[in-house]
Amino acid sequence: MLSEVPPEMIQRVKTLTGIELKDTAEAYQDSIQIQLGILLLQLFDIRQLKAIQQKPDAVAGHSLGIFAAAVAAGVISEDDAIKIVYLRSTEMQKSYPSGYGMGAIVGLTRKEVSTLVTQINSEEQPVFTSNQNSELQTVISGSLEGINKVLALAKDNGAQKTVLLKVPVPSHSPLMQKVANVLEKELSKVELHDPQCTYLANYNGRSSKKVTEVKYDMINNLVHPVYWDTMMDVASELGIDTTLEVQPGQTFTKLVKSKFPDFRTITMKNMSLDDIEFLLEKWKRG
Amino acid sequence: MANRSWTQNRDNKVAKMASISSLLDGKLVKTENAKTLLESIIKPGDKVVLEGDNQKQASFLSETLASVDPEKVHDLHMIMSSVSRPEHLDIFETGIAKKLDFSFAGPQSTRISQMIADGTMEVGDIHTYLELYARLYVDLIPNVVLVAADKVDRDGNLYTGANTEETPVIVESAAFKDGIVIVQANEIVDKVPRVDIPGDWVDIVVPADEPYQLEPLFTRDPQNVTELQILMGMMAIRGIYEKHNVQTVNHGVGFNTAAIELLLPTYGEQLGLKGKIVPNWEVNPTPTLIPAIESGWVKTIHSFGGEVGMENYIAHRPDIFFVGKDGSMRSNRAFGQMAGQYALDMFVGSTLQIDKYGNSSTVTNGRLSGFGGAPNMGSNPHGRRHSTPAWQSLRPDDDPLGKGQKLVVQMVETFGSNKKPVFVDHLDAEEVQKEAKLANVPIMIYSEDTTHIVTEEGIAYLYKTDSMAERQAAIEAIAGVTPVGLRSNPKQLKELRAKGIVALPEDLGVHRSEAKRSLLAAQNMDDLVKWSDGLYNPPAKFRSWS
Repeated sequence: MLSEVPPEMIQRVKTLTGIELKDTAEAYQDSIQIQLGILLLQLFDIRQLKAIQQKPDAVAGHSLGIFAAAVAAGVISEDDAIKIVYLRSTEMQKSYPSGYGMGAIVGLTRKEVSTLVTQINSEEQPVFTSNQNSELQTVISGSLEGINKVLALAKDNGAQKTVLLKVPVPSHSPLMQKVANVLEKELSKVELHDPQCTYLANYNGRSSKKVTEVKYDMINNLVHPVYWDTMMDVASELGIDTTLEVQPGQTFTKLVKSKFPDFRTITMKNMSLDDIEFLLEKWKRG
Repeated sequence: MANRSWTQNRDNKVAKMASISSLLDGKLVKTENAKTLLESIIKPGDKVVLEGDNQKQASFLSETLASVDPEKVHDLHMIMSSVSRPEHLDIFETGIAKKLDFSFAGPQSTRISQMIADGTMEVGDIHTYLELYARLYVDLIPNVVLVAADKVDRDGNLYTGANTEETPVIVESAAFKDGIVIVQANEIVDKVPRVDIPGDWVDIVVPADEPYQLEPLFTRDPQNVTELQILMGMMAIRGIYEKHNVQTVNHGVGFNTAAIELLLPTYGEQLGLKGKIVPNWEVNPTPTLIPAIESGWVKTIHSFGGEVGMENYIAHRPDIFFVGKDGSMRSNRAFGQMAGQYALDMFVGSTLQIDKYGNSSTVTNGRLSGFGGAPNMGSNPHGRRHSTPAWQSLRPDDDPLGKGQKLVVQMVETFGSNKKPVFVDHLDAEEVQKEAKLANVPIMIYSEDTTHIVTEEGIAYLYKTDSMAERQAAIEAIAGVTPVGLRSNPKQLKELRAKGIVALPEDLGVHRSEAKRSLLAAQNMDDLVKWSDGLYNPPAKFRSWS
């Protein structure tokens, strides 16, 4: 995954966090390695886009992705983003050693999922309605017991597909409050700037140009659902019609394409920098 | 009382105009001075109308307004029939504007919901088009109006052409009440092709940096009409248009009604209905009407607004459309809505949700889209006194003082494009009322006004029901396998069919197997161009074949 990333960036991670990023499938079983690896790849992509003088009108990150988004918007430095993500991933890893996770439900509306979650959620088997990926794709988060019960109910109520995600933590639920508390302490020491472009926030699906909103999102997005679908609605209403997805994948491009078939999309995973520059310039000319 | 001045508003306007005299060359202000102009002439708290409906936008003036210094211009009370562009809402974030009275917000429905919930804006109320226009003359009289014109001469005479739309109703509300009328112009000319608004009503003209935004909103590619929509169209023609002898009509913007337009010259012809139904229309110049016009079905069309690409076709068909001496169409949104409310036998529309009682709404997922014009047309006007055969056909027999009723038809497939049921126990709009703290649930068409519902299952003649229980049963009978529809049973259906309250395709002599795409008078955009004799010029995004 990191083969293109300059060694000095990998070295920088080691200097800042003590973590040696090993670019192997085995290393990526570790959630700290994978989070730092993805962040670094995204920081590298953002550097590349800067090098060809491409500036976004708006940035949108999904969960971990908000840190790269905040860097792209000029809110936080690369170094601080690396340090915060390192802290975030270690805190996440130790927060729930076992018995918790996330599940995804396809084919029911968020409202339908919430009704099922309410039937199951209790102190003994907490489960919450979490990320809103698209109109009919909702993530739930909490105890495995609760999640499995909601997934089974969802199947009975006409969901096309239910999956237990390979995430060992109940992310984007109130169960993550302790991690948010740690991040709040740390982020209060970090120098942040107003975003240079519109920032689409995870925690409430709103657009903002205020540093306070980005900061709140970086501290608290783990406690809230990611309102991705709403973020995309807002982007479209702001006049955005072109998206560029940084590495590693193309998941969000697929979501955008199915929601807005007329959007022009680029995935850095599949395209050379020359091609990206050519396309962006061509589209700008209209 | 002796000292009271009765010309305070006039004096105020004179003073305001004097304060910007250095910017004026006659009525003209230079493009680059637009921002200074607005900063000088708009006062904090002013009521400002910004022209913009679902098609035409005073985009140069809205961008300029969004760029003014909020220290100088703030807390405006905006009156907008349509909230469409990003800056229409940006001005509330920056404090330039504070309060909003509007009609339609479809293109900004997510952000407007968020801003209402967050208290970023104060909403006066949500209106239908006609109500908003009406209030411009009573309790929302504007201080400044910002409108758009195609061509303007040095005396300020406006040519607004096919897209005259709501410009006259806005300008009049300010021009005769000491408001200030500011116009953005696509072009300054020596002589306008015709005078749509007299220069005497206009105070200031600013040449725009680019032409105003105009959307081809009513263009439907026949290629996207489905066979289910064709089936429903056939049922509607037989079971409603023919049955009630409908002469005057408005169609909504959906593919359901596009299907009907394309079925008139084929299926309608087979039924021998030509010359017998729907000669007179209040509708935008939708390209899918071209075959019906060309084959002699349609006699007249009055329009709310223009439609991009139809200009030349309309110019060559002045017997059908409302056309000026210059050869281009004249539209008028206020008069169109008035005609739609009072002069029509029937309104046919579509919706996203219908509840078990028959109330319908286009609000889903917490998005507040407003009303636009549909409720003006999709309601029974209690002030109507003239009678037509279709209207009279809905008159109850048992009331000596009874009267007719407008036909209000909803055409929906039982499941929406997201595979979710259209028929529901509770409208999403009920949630939105709570979130946005609205006085009432934002219902587009009320059950009491809805006379017919058409689905792929059949037609429910709601006007024939004599209790809410029977009305619910009629809706259940045509609601397919939605949770609402599953409550229906064969015995109930049989009784409703016997009473003529529900009709299935076979009751109407419509054969499901005949509902084929080949029945459409035009199969694609190219066919529409051919029908128009090459006069219709589709916008680029509909030109997939070229």
